[in-house]
Amino acid sequence: MGKYEILVDEMRCTGCLRCQLACSDLYIKAFNPGRARIRVVMSGVDCRIEFTDDCTECGVCADHCFFGTLQKTERRAAP
Amino acid sequence: MTGGGFAGWVLDVDLTSGRIAKHALDMSLVEDFIGGFGLTIRLAYDAIRPGFDALSPDNPIVMGVGPLVGTSLPATSRVYAVTKLPTSGTIGWCGAGGVTFGYQFKCAGYDHLIIRGRSEKPVYLRIMDDRVELVDARSCWGRSIDETSEAFWKEMGWPTGVLAIGQAGECQVAFAMAYIDRIATLGRGGFGAVMGAKNLKAIVVQGTGGVRVADRKKYRELSESFLRTIRDYPYLKEWQDLGLLKSFPVMPAEQYHRIRKRRLACVSCPVGCKDAVEIPDGPHQGLVAYSSSAVNLSTPVLYGFQDYRDGIRLIATLDGYGLDMFEFFGVTRFVKTLVDNGLIPLERVQPPIVNDSLASLETWAERIALREGLGDILADGFRGVVREFGPETVQFAPALVKWMHPYAGPGAALPWDMFGTMELGQVLDPRGPHVGAGGSPTYFAKRPLEVFPKHFRRMGIPEAAFARILPGRDASGREQGLRIGRLLKYSHNWFTILGSLGICARGQVNRFYHADLCARLYEAVTGIAIDLPGLRKRADRIWTLYRMVNIREGLQRSQAEILPDQWFVASGFKDYFTEEPLDIESSERMIEDYYQEWGWEPKTGVPSAETLNDLGLK
Repeated sequence: MGKYEILVDEMRCTGCLRCQLACSDLYIKAFNPGRARIRVVMSGVDCRIEFTDDCTECGVCADHCFFGTLQKTERRAAP
Repeated sequence: MTGGGFAGWVLDVDLTSGRIAKHALDMSLVEDFIGGFGLTIRLAYDAIRPGFDALSPDNPIVMGVGPLVGTSLPATSRVYAVTKLPTSGTIGWCGAGGVTFGYQFKCAGYDHLIIRGRSEKPVYLRIMDDRVELVDARSCWGRSIDETSEAFWKEMGWPTGVLAIGQAGECQVAFAMAYIDRIATLGRGGFGAVMGAKNLKAIVVQGTGGVRVADRKKYRELSESFLRTIRDYPYLKEWQDLGLLKSFPVMPAEQYHRIRKRRLACVSCPVGCKDAVEIPDGPHQGLVAYSSSAVNLSTPVLYGFQDYRDGIRLIATLDGYGLDMFEFFGVTRFVKTLVDNGLIPLERVQPPIVNDSLASLETWAERIALREGLGDILADGFRGVVREFGPETVQFAPALVKWMHPYAGPGAALPWDMFGTMELGQVLDPRGPHVGAGGSPTYFAKRPLEVFPKHFRRMGIPEAAFARILPGRDASGREQGLRIGRLLKYSHNWFTILGSLGICARGQVNRFYHADLCARLYEAVTGIAIDLPGLRKRADRIWTLYRMVNIREGLQRSQAEILPDQWFVASGFKDYFTEEPLDIESSERMIEDYYQEWGWEPKTGVPSAETLNDLGLK
C-alpha cells in the first residue's frame, strides 16, 4: 500500500495520457504511455482506468492530471 | 544521434515494389531544419521531383513528428505531412493534432516516414516497432473513417495510432482528407485523395520504445515551471469546459453541455479541444459523433440549418466519408446557384440541392464520396464544376483561392470579417486556405494595439521589427495601425517553430508557449545547443525552402497570390485597425510588406539571392 490513495473519476478523463507519460518517465526514465503502471483505456465514449500490480501509488499520475480525473489523498496511518 | 527527442530513423516505404527500408536520420539536416515540420519540408524537397501530378505514383508523401512529440510537454502530439495537393496543385503541408498517432510513431522508433509509388491493390501500412508490413486492406476498403478506426482498435487495441481515409479518399475526391484516430483532420486540399491514389487505406502504428530527453534535470525544471503557469491560468477551466466554443460561441453552452459525452484531448494536451457528443432526442436520438471541435459540428447551422441535430448528423456523415466540410458546402452551394441561374439544367441535379436540407445534402455527400452520377463532377471540386459547365460559371462562384473555398470571408462559414494575419495567410501560404492562426494575436477578437508587443515577444519577433509592424503615428499625428503583411511573416515563422518542435497549432494552447522557452525546451530535450535567434533563423530557412519548393513547381505571384474580388465588396473584409472595407491598394501593400519582411523580391515573391545565401539555401 502506497503513501497515497488515488481517487479516480473516469467521467472527466479526456484520454490525454499525461498520467501515463509521467509514470513511464518516473519508472523507466523515458516517455512511453504503454509502459506506465496506470492504463487509460478509451472505447468509444467510455473510459476505464486501471493500475498494474506494480503500481506503488506514488501519486505522480495525479500530479500530472489537468482534468480532475485523478486526485491523490494521503493515507492515514492505522490507529 | 542526439541525447534525446529524436528516435533517429526515417522509414521509407515504396508501395510499388513493396520495399521497406529505414535510414538513419541525418543529424546535419536536423541541425539546420530543427525537426518535425521543418525536417519534413527538407525531406520533401529531396523526395518530390517537380512536375508530377498530385495523384500520380510519382508524388510522394513525407510525414514527420517533432522532437518534443512523445514527451510530457503540453500539447506536443503534432503530426505533419507534405505532398503535392490535388486541389491547389501546390506542395502543401498538412498538419493534425496527432492524438495517439504521434507518440506511437516516435515510440516505434521513427521521426519521419516517406511513402512512394502506388500499390497494385488496397493496402494499409502496419508499423509495430521494427516490424513494418504492407497488409491487404480489402477488409476495410469501402468503409468509413469510423468503421475503419474502430476495426483497427478492435484488432490491435486502444491506443493504436490510426491514420485513415474514408470512401472519399479511396475515390480520390479532390477535397478528401485523412483522419487521425477519427477525430483529427489531416489535409485540406485533398491529402486523402493522394492516399487513395496510392491505394493506401491507412497507417496504423504501435511502439514499445521510449522517448528520452537529453538533460533530464533541465527538462524537469522547465516543464514544472511551465505546467504551473498553465495551471494558474485563470481561464483554464473555462477552456477545458468549452474548448473552441469559448472563442467561437456558435452553440449555446447549455446545449453543448446537454449533448457532450466526453471531452477528448491529444496525448499530453492539458486543455483538450475535441469532442464526443450524443444527440439526445429527435429523429437522430442516440447518434454519437466525434469531432475535432464542437464548433465544427455547428458549421451547418452557420450555413443555414435550422436544427442543430440535423447539422451534427450531416457533419458525422461528412467525417465518415472523409470529406472536407468547407469545400463540400462551397461546392454544393455553387452548383445550386448555377441551377438557379439556368447554367445547369435542373434535371441534371436530382434530387435538387437544398442548402439547409439534411436529406438533400446527405444524398449529395454520398454521391460525391462515391463519385456517383453528377457527384463525380462535384468530387473534383470547383475546378471540376467549372470544367464541366463552362468558364462563364465562375462569375457565380464564391471567393476562391487556389480553387478552394476560404473558411472566412464573404459567403464563407465563419462569421468574422476582420482581416488579420490568418485571413491574409489564406492567400499567402502556398498550400491554400486553411484554419491556422500561427500564434498571431489577430486570431482572437479585435484587440487594442497596445497589447500587441506582449504577443510579439511571445512569438519571438525581434524588437527591431516592432516598429515596422506597428509604425505608430505619422508626421501629421495619424495612427498608422497594424501592418498585417509584416506581422504575417512572423506568424509564419512562429508557426514553423511550433510545428518543427511538435507543438499544437491551436492558439488556445500554444498561447502558453514563448519562443524563448521553445529554444530552451529544444535544447533540454535534444541536447542541441540553440538560442532564440538561432531557432528563428532556422524557421526562416524552413519557410523559405517551402516557398522555393513551390517556385520549383511553378508558383507565381501573378497567378496564385491574388485576393479574390469578393473580398473587396462593402460586406467583405474590413481592415483590422480602421475597420474600413479592405481595398485592393492596401492589400497589395500587405503582400509586398510580407515579401519584403522575408527578404523576398517585393514584386514577385521570389526569395532574393542574398536571402538564400544568408539562409544557406543557395
